[in-house]
Amino acid sequence: MTNSFMSNRRDAIKAMLAISAAGALAACKAGGEANDAAQPRGLVGGPKLTASEMALVGALAQTIIPKTETAGAVEAGVPAVLQTLFTEWGDDNYRMYWREGLKNLEQHFLQTGGQNFAKMVPSQQANLLGKYDAKAYAESGFDNFYKDMKSTIATAYYMSEPGATEELAYEPVPGEFKGCVPLSDQPKTWAT
Amino acid sequence: MADFDAIVVGSGISGGWVAKELCERGLKVCVLERGRPIDPSKDYSDHLDPWEKPNFDRISDADMERDFFVQGQYYALKESNKHLFLTDREQPYERAPNQSFNWRRGNYVGGRSLLWGRAVYRLSNNDFEANKLDGEGVDWPVRYKDIAPWYDHVEKFIGVAGDRDGVPQVPDGEHFLPAFEHTCVETDLKKKLETLYPERKLIMGRVAHLTHLSDEQIALGRGKCQARNLCFHGCSYGAYFSSVSATLPAAKRTGNLTLISNAVVSRLVFDKNKNRITGVEVVDRDTGAGTTHTAKIVFLNASTIGSTLILLNSATEDMPTGLSNGSDQLGRNLMDHVKGTMVQGTSDDFQDRYVFGRRPIGGYIPRYRNFPKHVETYKRGWGYQVYSGRGRWNGNSAGIGQVFKSQNQTPGPWSIVLHAFGECLPNESNRVIAHATKVDKWGQPIAVVDLKLGKNEEAIMRAAHQDAIDILTDAGMRNLYEIQKPENNLNGISGAVHEMGTARMGHNPKTSVLNRWNQSHEIPNLFITDGSFMTSSATQNPSLTYMAFSARAANYAADLLQSGAL
Repeated sequence: MTNSFMSNRRDAIKAMLAISAAGALAACKAGGEANDAAQPRGLVGGPKLTASEMALVGALAQTIIPKTETAGAVEAGVPAVLQTLFTEWGDDNYRMYWREGLKNLEQHFLQTGGQNFAKMVPSQQANLLGKYDAKAYAESGFDNFYKDMKSTIATAYYMSEPGATEELAYEPVPGEFKGCVPLSDQPKTWAT
Repeated sequence: MADFDAIVVGSGISGGWVAKELCERGLKVCVLERGRPIDPSKDYSDHLDPWEKPNFDRISDADMERDFFVQGQYYALKESNKHLFLTDREQPYERAPNQSFNWRRGNYVGGRSLLWGRAVYRLSNNDFEANKLDGEGVDWPVRYKDIAPWYDHVEKFIGVAGDRDGVPQVPDGEHFLPAFEHTCVETDLKKKLETLYPERKLIMGRVAHLTHLSDEQIALGRGKCQARNLCFHGCSYGAYFSSVSATLPAAKRTGNLTLISNAVVSRLVFDKNKNRITGVEVVDRDTGAGTTHTAKIVFLNASTIGSTLILLNSATEDMPTGLSNGSDQLGRNLMDHVKGTMVQGTSDDFQDRYVFGRRPIGGYIPRYRNFPKHVETYKRGWGYQVYSGRGRWNGNSAGIGQVFKSQNQTPGPWSIVLHAFGECLPNESNRVIAHATKVDKWGQPIAVVDLKLGKNEEAIMRAAHQDAIDILTDAGMRNLYEIQKPENNLNGISGAVHEMGTARMGHNPKTSVLNRWNQSHEIPNLFITDGSFMTSSATQNPSLTYMAFSARAANYAADLLQSGAL
């Protein structure tokens, strides 16, 4: 039961990603936000992250947590989790906070990188975001939204199945508790 | 002819015990529960993996504001278990101005026994003598030797994992199951603490989880604790004690139990000529239909505030201030444990060690101030719950890419947290009253709660905070972090979910509501064994004491009934 539920959910996540990517592409071609209205319909919840917002979020998430020998944020389905938080979980204040925050980030990277963050090559994304990230943690109050977003991305990643079970270690039913075992037995952080 | 031998109002941790004991004594028992019937296969959410719980299992702001603005103050409330909590919409109550008391309440058969922290410590004789010795409140009409056999009785049935520590503040039980293990930093702190301060002990927390199964527990369908620490989602293994996993099934198998859920008790029916409670009036939670059930004896186990409200709302012409309130003490002396201080320290040691599994309890430092003799400027003391572990993944930290992944994939340093639970003195002006005009959706006057932080409670909080800082510093911990500070927690008392004391026991009917058997001084067939009977709060987590007094009172009541004395 759990397995079929999971594969359905994975399929849903994949579908949403495909749709978002297509939307992002369309938005880029038009060079503006007008095309954002052409987003997938029929999903419950309030206003959605637009295609270009999703493209930005996806690129930020994948730059913060890239694919290495383990899944990156996109492979783990993080953008879809953020979309659900935005549409179904958050209220208008939450949506406004994200929308404003993403807009500021997009502006910043347009100015520093000359194009939309999502369109940059990964090395440029890592370079620019690395500088931004360092500043955000060095200067208090520099961009609280960025830190909140990053924390949300990380939570979505580490609570995803690949994040919890492959990147970290997850044991749903430990059976017993041991209070002081060699780290070498299991050197990864426990997901829960 | 009464419908039942006994009615028990409430199926939570104390009501479940009363029902079990009375049923096993052969009485026909009706348990009235305002919450919904529970079906663990549907209502528990402990089978879900993190990725199966949308939105990180967090309740949305909109739901929080509408339904859970008080319940949501607790970490235990999640999207997947929120149905176990009564919504704040259905449980309106008022607080005295600038006070913080949060009333948490269950919504199901089993009540808060599904949501409790499961820490179980005995009170010591020092606790039972405290009021008499320092003059606060009234003297407990019970001493440790009276209740000790009932602690044994309860611990054997519920299953308590714990060590026999020989610490007089929290006497040992006869039937403890294997304790959980300390972490490396707890063992280290224990050594340092007990060397620096020989009168202070760090023990493994005692917890109502099965680490070994008795035949009786197997027969009830209970299983061993799997160290998942998902307890607030309900436990499909029945490994921690709850009414649902243990007492209600035990009562049911006698054939003597009638359990009626969705039954909101509105008032007790008092027969002035017989001087007895003759019935219990109930409103159906969904339909609003009224029914009256009758019984020879009535136990109130509706939780401290709930039971108090029922008695206040049952006022008659002859008892205009509420039933069994000739002392004017009903609703007074509300207590809860003083929190408001929590301090964390970080260790550089044991970098090559880690834990396996998720322990459902921490360590415990039993009260050491003013024990055994009063020497401080304040009265009584506190105990510390001790939490420890290695740092988890943390999204809110600098770095991106492989660096970020690597730093989260490696466990952080060990840290240890001291979280004080302080004693609250009985104070007549701390009280619950029924609102003069406002009623809930079932037409019941709502509670108004006034629970001030007194001078002694504040002194305890501040002393506990300083001691925590000193202990962690002396033990060589660094990066001390004051997670909670006393100066931010001066608005009343709240957070422990240990409210108690509003129908206290005492020797004298003029100054107390209940006698030493949890029996009303005034109405002999009325018993109260939820937290409202507590004459002082002590510092220990109180549920074990509620259970022991419940079992004792139930057997006393059965003796009276079966000997014809009632």
